[in-house]
Amino acid sequence: MIIFDDVWFSYGDREVLKGVSFQADFHERIAVLGESGGGKTTILKLILGLISPDKGKIIIDGVNINNLSEEELIPIRRKFSIVFQEGALFDSLPVKENVAFLMREILRLPDEEIYLKVRELLQRVGVSDAEELMPEELSGGMHRRVAIARALAIGKTKMFLYDEPTAGLDPVNSERIVALIRDLAERESIGFMIITHVVYVAWQLCDRFIFLKDGQIIFDGDKRELLSTNIQPVKDFIKELLFRVSE
Amino acid sequence: MTIQKRRGLFLGVNFFLHSLNSFVLTYQWFTVKYEAEIKRMLYDIQNFYLICINSLVKIFKRPLYINDIIEQMEYAGASSVFIVSLVCLFVGMALSLQLSAELSSLGLKMYTGKIVGIAVIREIGPLVTALVFIGRVGAGQAAEIGSMILGHQIDTLRVYGIDPIKKVVIPRVVASVFMLPCLTIIGDLVCLFGGYYIAVFVSNQSGSFYWSSIIEELTFENVFSGSIKPFIFGYLISCISCFYGLTTRGGAKGLRTSTTKAVVTSIVVVIAMDFVLTRILLYALGFSL
Ligand SMILES: Nc1ncnc2c1ncn2[C@@H]1O[C@H](COP(=O)(O)OP(=O)(O)OP(=O)(O)O)[C@@H](O)[C@H]1O
Ligand SMILES: [Mg+2]
Repeated sequence: MIIFDDVWFSYGDREVLKGVSFQADFHERIAVLGESGGGKTTILKLILGLISPDKGKIIIDGVNINNLSEEELIPIRRKFSIVFQEGALFDSLPVKENVAFLMREILRLPDEEIYLKVRELLQRVGVSDAEELMPEELSGGMHRRVAIARALAIGKTKMFLYDEPTAGLDPVNSERIVALIRDLAERESIGFMIITHVVYVAWQLCDRFIFLKDGQIIFDGDKRELLSTNIQPVKDFIKELLFRVSE
Repeated sequence: MTIQKRRGLFLGVNFFLHSLNSFVLTYQWFTVKYEAEIKRMLYDIQNFYLICINSLVKIFKRPLYINDIIEQMEYAGASSVFIVSLVCLFVGMALSLQLSAELSSLGLKMYTGKIVGIAVIREIGPLVTALVFIGRVGAGQAAEIGSMILGHQIDTLRVYGIDPIKKVVIPRVVASVFMLPCLTIIGDLVCLFGGYYIAVFVSNQSGSFYWSSIIEELTFENVFSGSIKPFIFGYLISCISCFYGLTTRGGAKGLRTSTTKAVVTSIVVVIAMDFVLTRILLYALGFSL
């Protein structure tokens, strides 16, 4: 369970979040939507304890994570599989070392076992032929898949966090990533939180929608509520969606 | 007490209070106006010290990331040899040229070797190598770490419980601390060879005399004061570069700013430190000025 209780956050004197509150279960499928620069990635970083709020409480599985040290945060962070914006692969390492990285550094498995697992993971996300390539040689879609494979390498977690998994991808690749995300969630039977500004992607994947605007949550509800909402900024945002759904 | 005296005292006290008041007001105005900047500066200094200290304290804490250290050593050391040699060769030749021109007009040409030796071993070798090192390695470290920040790679490390100081900063600091002295030795040698070439083939001096007067200068004092500097320079350069890399914010422009700051700060700090160290070493080794 993730609980945000009146969370405020600012970078220097720029206020990014102004009193954000919500609760989410790990098995839910949540989309966080909003304009670019609206503070979506900031929410993700707060959940992981990479930054701490100026005011308010963030409680994860009953633990208030505000004043924990880096060591104390490790078990909290292990509850999540994270795919950062743009994938965040280590660009000095080839694909297979990227996927092997966490198994080597954290799980400390022997080499043969690692490479067996790497091959299996890359196959699962559909990029088995990219093993030896460097990250800069990958296309945007492949990059995202490898990042997902790396997030899976850490083993079973309670929730996936995806930051803009389809940003910058063409519709076909975007569709594939959506299918992969859905497939993974079903296979592992865990929920996910996906951060995006593409409403259609959120619509295909999620059953709860949170809209951020000017650092506040202006909408939080399910599909039905989303279609019948009267909140103007949300309506503007989902115009395209309404068009596609009515088709 | 006469009226005048009381009046004078009163005026004096009044003046004092007024100036105190205006001082307080100026101070308040200053702190209000620059509060944010001062806070940020103090915060930066604090972070810089934390990096400097942590990179020493955590060196022997497990895991050791030997492979990263070796990779960084290769980047900082082996691949800088050529550029360091090239720069030092020309510096040595120019120095020797200047000195032989000046000294031969005084009829003291045979001192070229001696002066080139002292200058290169004590001062020019370490300094020129450090400056080249800043441009090649310091800038590279700042830019690389900066782009790791912008690409969320450092965040990824933290999320999985890997300390970025251990994994990213320490290998670079260790590599710089050990590689800069090696480069300095190579740089010194090449510099002296450049000087030799000019002295012998341009200024027609005796080669064996050139070398013997340099070997005479390889005393403990000279070698020690020239070899302690690169360790300190290497440490400072990589701490400064890693610090600015880690504070990168805001896209390509932020990367440019942090790389520039890393290079400029390193240059200033290294040159200032060189002066301070020279002063201390001369004093400690008992040279009288
Ligand atoms: N490290 C930082 N230092 C200063 N300001 C920052 C930093 N990171 C983000 N910001 C600012 O905070 C605001 C919110 O950033 P955030 O990354 O959360 O937005 P976002 O909703 O994820 O946007 P996008 O869709 O573009 O990724 C932005 O206006 C950004 O400029
Ligand atoms: Mg973002």
